[in-house]
Amino acid sequence: MEDNTKNSRRKFLDKGLKIGIATAIGSIGLSKITGKLNAKNEKASGEKMELMTTDGTIIEVDASEVMEVQHSHDHDTKYNLREGMPNRKFVMVIDLAKCKNALKCQQACNKHHYITGEHAWLKVYKMQEEEDTAPYWMPTTCMHCDHPACVTVCPVDATFKRRDGLVLIDNDRCIGCRFCMAACPYSTRVFNWKEPEYGEEAEVMLNMHHADEKYNSIEYTGMPSKIGTVDKCDFCPHMIHKNELPHCVTACPNGVFYFGDKYEDTVTNGAETLRLSKLLKDKNGYRLMEGLGTKPSVFYLPPVDRLVDFEEGLNFYTNYNSVNKSEY
Amino acid sequence: MLINRSVFLALVGCFLYTVMFNSVYAQQDEKNTVRFKAYYTKIMDSISYFNVTVFSRIDKENVDVANAELTFYNEVGDEEFELGTAKTNMNGECKFVLDNLNKIKPDSTNTYNINIKFKGNDAFKRASKSLSFKDATILAKLITKDSINYISGTLKDTSTDSVLSDRLLNVQVQRLFRNLRIGEEFNTTDEDGTIIVPVEEGIPGVDGILTFEVVLQDSEDYGTVRALVKAPIGTPIKDESTFDERTMWSPRNKTPLFLLIFPNLLILGIWGIIVYLIINLFKISKSKIQ
Amino acid sequence: MEVSKKLVNDLAPQKFGKKGVIWTTSLIIISIAGIIAYIDQVRKGQIVTNMNDYALWGIYISNFVFFVATSFVGAVTVAILRLTKNSWRTPIVRIAEIISVAAIIMAGITIMIDMGRPDRLLNLFIHARMQSPITWDVIIIPTSIAVCLLLLYFPLLPDFAILKNYFSETKPKLSKWYGKLSMNWTGSEKQKSIQLKSIHIVALLTIPVGFMLQTVDAWLFSTLFRVGWDSTNLGAYFISGAAVAGIGALVAVIYIVRRANHLEEYITEFHFDKLGKFLVLVCLIYLYFNINEYVIPEFTSKKEELTHLNHLYSGQFAPLFWFVNIGGLIIPIIVLLFKKGRKPLTMFFIALLVVVGSWWKRFLIVTPTLLLPFLPVQGVPESWHHYFPSFHEWIITLATLAMALLIITVLVRYLPVIPIQRTADEQELLKKEEKSNQ
Repeated sequence: MEDNTKNSRRKFLDKGLKIGIATAIGSIGLSKITGKLNAKNEKASGEKMELMTTDGTIIEVDASEVMEVQHSHDHDTKYNLREGMPNRKFVMVIDLAKCKNALKCQQACNKHHYITGEHAWLKVYKMQEEEDTAPYWMPTTCMHCDHPACVTVCPVDATFKRRDGLVLIDNDRCIGCRFCMAACPYSTRVFNWKEPEYGEEAEVMLNMHHADEKYNSIEYTGMPSKIGTVDKCDFCPHMIHKNELPHCVTACPNGVFYFGDKYEDTVTNGAETLRLSKLLKDKNGYRLMEGLGTKPSVFYLPPVDRLVDFEEGLNFYTNYNSVNKSEY
Repeated sequence: MLINRSVFLALVGCFLYTVMFNSVYAQQDEKNTVRFKAYYTKIMDSISYFNVTVFSRIDKENVDVANAELTFYNEVGDEEFELGTAKTNMNGECKFVLDNLNKIKPDSTNTYNINIKFKGNDAFKRASKSLSFKDATILAKLITKDSINYISGTLKDTSTDSVLSDRLLNVQVQRLFRNLRIGEEFNTTDEDGTIIVPVEEGIPGVDGILTFEVVLQDSEDYGTVRALVKAPIGTPIKDESTFDERTMWSPRNKTPLFLLIFPNLLILGIWGIIVYLIINLFKISKSKIQ
Repeated sequence: MEVSKKLVNDLAPQKFGKKGVIWTTSLIIISIAGIIAYIDQVRKGQIVTNMNDYALWGIYISNFVFFVATSFVGAVTVAILRLTKNSWRTPIVRIAEIISVAAIIMAGITIMIDMGRPDRLLNLFIHARMQSPITWDVIIIPTSIAVCLLLLYFPLLPDFAILKNYFSETKPKLSKWYGKLSMNWTGSEKQKSIQLKSIHIVALLTIPVGFMLQTVDAWLFSTLFRVGWDSTNLGAYFISGAAVAGIGALVAVIYIVRRANHLEEYITEFHFDKLGKFLVLVCLIYLYFNINEYVIPEFTSKKEELTHLNHLYSGQFAPLFWFVNIGGLIIPIIVLLFKKGRKPLTMFFIALLVVVGSWWKRFLIVTPTLLLPFLPVQGVPESWHHYFPSFHEWIITLATLAMALLIITVLVRYLPVIPIQRTADEQELLKKEEKSNQ
């Protein structure tokens, strides 16, 4: 009796294993074939893309008819995205003497990065160290520190420091533990607590970006933001790539932000171009929380000889709001 | 009676006439007018190009016109030769490159005349713009005197080969985003059409090589002319990044050695003991002899 | 060694009465509610919590720290008492090991609830960076689970063999399971020598592993710049706090189990007295560290430290702070210093106070610091200046606590809560000693 049962059991297992392997191989093969078929079909039918014309209407256009934008090839555009552009170290100088809390920098950054949370990437703080000291407006971006506390504590290498000084986030790798947010002393990182809601316009723009593979890279992280991951100011590598200044620099009407390459010892705010070392020496540039040893890449010029009163900036000051959702 | 009729016919005629014209105007009114901004730039010993921005004034705002096809013509005397086309990008800008000025012919006054035409499309009317310029040359070079470096530039009108004095030239060193100015803001060419500007010490550059530009910016008759000089007088750039070192903020392939060795030894040691203990469990299970 | 029938009768796991069934059912209901709430969280994102960019860690993390702290009880009672040759520990070690196992398993589960992208859990292993304190945590928690399980399992082997025999007629299926788990234990010399050696090794191993677990947990905070966390004190602080939480939990669970299983003969007032003294000792050590953390910075009165301390002394967290320190620490110390305070029932209530105080203490460590960053909190909604957990967070947290209690309940139901063989051996030894003394 036992032998019979053993035999039948064996036979059953044997059959079952054979069928199982055959199914597995079959299904893998099938899925690969169907995958290839689908790919073929896509190319034959011609991908349609949604575009917005300059007068605001949305049209559907065959992908082949869309012309590629001419990019500047004056500098080396091929580099490992986790390593960064060679021979560059990006720094920013923020002139506190000129900031009037116009908040155009914040609006431009919010708009071009499709920021949907409650917390802007660029914050302009109302600072006053002590009652007797003068108040001033202080814009803060990510400091892209040279000894970044956030990168040190990331358990999965989702945030990384590049050779060109930028600290970026790979939001396909981020597990949302928020340890980097706890580590950052400058409170510059934000978290996507819910599914980011883009307006219709932003959706169209993002779909366009995704159609072009070039945009699906780490340099465009944060665009789009993903739920359950961390975002922060990225010094706009997608703009640097095109030899253009970050959005906050160009948007500021008062020329507060200077941006440039420390190795070239030159920074510019779009209108003025100056030597970095001279600027820092003449105006006594400093860095925030220097004592923490984070070695930030953002320098501040002290708020002296101000042209406009601090109080004028209070008109734009909103304590409980930094992202205007109505823009989308 | 007759007068009435003719008046009536005249009125009808007027009515029809205006209706016809209205419909024509209506069609034309739907399209917006378009304006151009066009600039000519020449780079010495290299290409020349036109930067054209096409925009339209809609609702009191300037709106960029994208995907507008522009045709460039070289007007010589009464004839027009087509040079080529360019299409504007999302920002309404386009660049049309001439490899060589020999491709176009000047008129009798040695002035090059270029016409830019836009045929118009469904949304915009046709338009055109003319651009005229003469060819100028800048000879730029590096001069070292008494161990001080100078950049000199001489401005000439190419066709007459005569120097142009009392013109403003800018001298800059090429940098990312915007070039850094060397010397004064305004350098006026002297009787020999020359400027000479000292270069300060310690400008950094990749491998110590700096590219200087002497520029005649946006002149009415010559456009923009740019001369480049490469000079190895900069201080070489040193890559100070910690990317290649083993640091606490490096990716995992560059973990500090201490963190690689010590924790892994600990883990191996402890798990080795745990595995030994689990083996002991099996040993107990196997040795059931009393 | 023959084990007396009476002993086995007393110590064998008993079926649950009505109270036990109600208790277990309620725990299961709470756990299910938590799972449903968690699924909702995964679908909608962590917006269902009340966490924000400033209070970026809330009760999920403080609950996790609490579980890690409570799991220290295994190392403390089993290993330290063993090394210091406190032989009275025999009846309580099994319960201590059970609590350790339950707590450390729930710690591993609880931390995953806080992840924003739990679908990317494997990244923690594939892309792990050794430089990150979280990676150290990811390594030490499974290690602790393995060690705690082994610490529980080895002494159980002879007990499983005894129970197999005990249930062989009344409950044959159960008896078969006990038989399988006993690893063919027959009490032979060879088996005993392997077992005793293994117990000795694992008990020794528990100490460094337990200390490392608590220290890594502390380093999750003290490797950061934040005021209140950036303290050289934190490693030792967490170790002593873990001892307090662990022993408090131990006393509470022992009291309940003793009453439910009628074990008054084995866990006597003497044991409570000893445990009470032990608890006072660790509370005093913890009090010392608390003074270093919360009183001494007033001396230099650095601005940041002062703001942080005032936040606790008189700000939005004041009621909680005083409850935790007076109710959870000072009152227990005072009560337990007196012999009357170390009676079983009194100790049960004190232990409950200690455990609840410990749980809220961890909350006070995690969130108040986060609400006071270096740069001012501006440009964010008013609600972001405070933090109180949301409904989802409460349900999920209660569910994790319920699951921990559920694990303890199941283990108490099926395992002998007092080591049978060992008790028998000790009784034999005592008898022999008495005989030789006579």
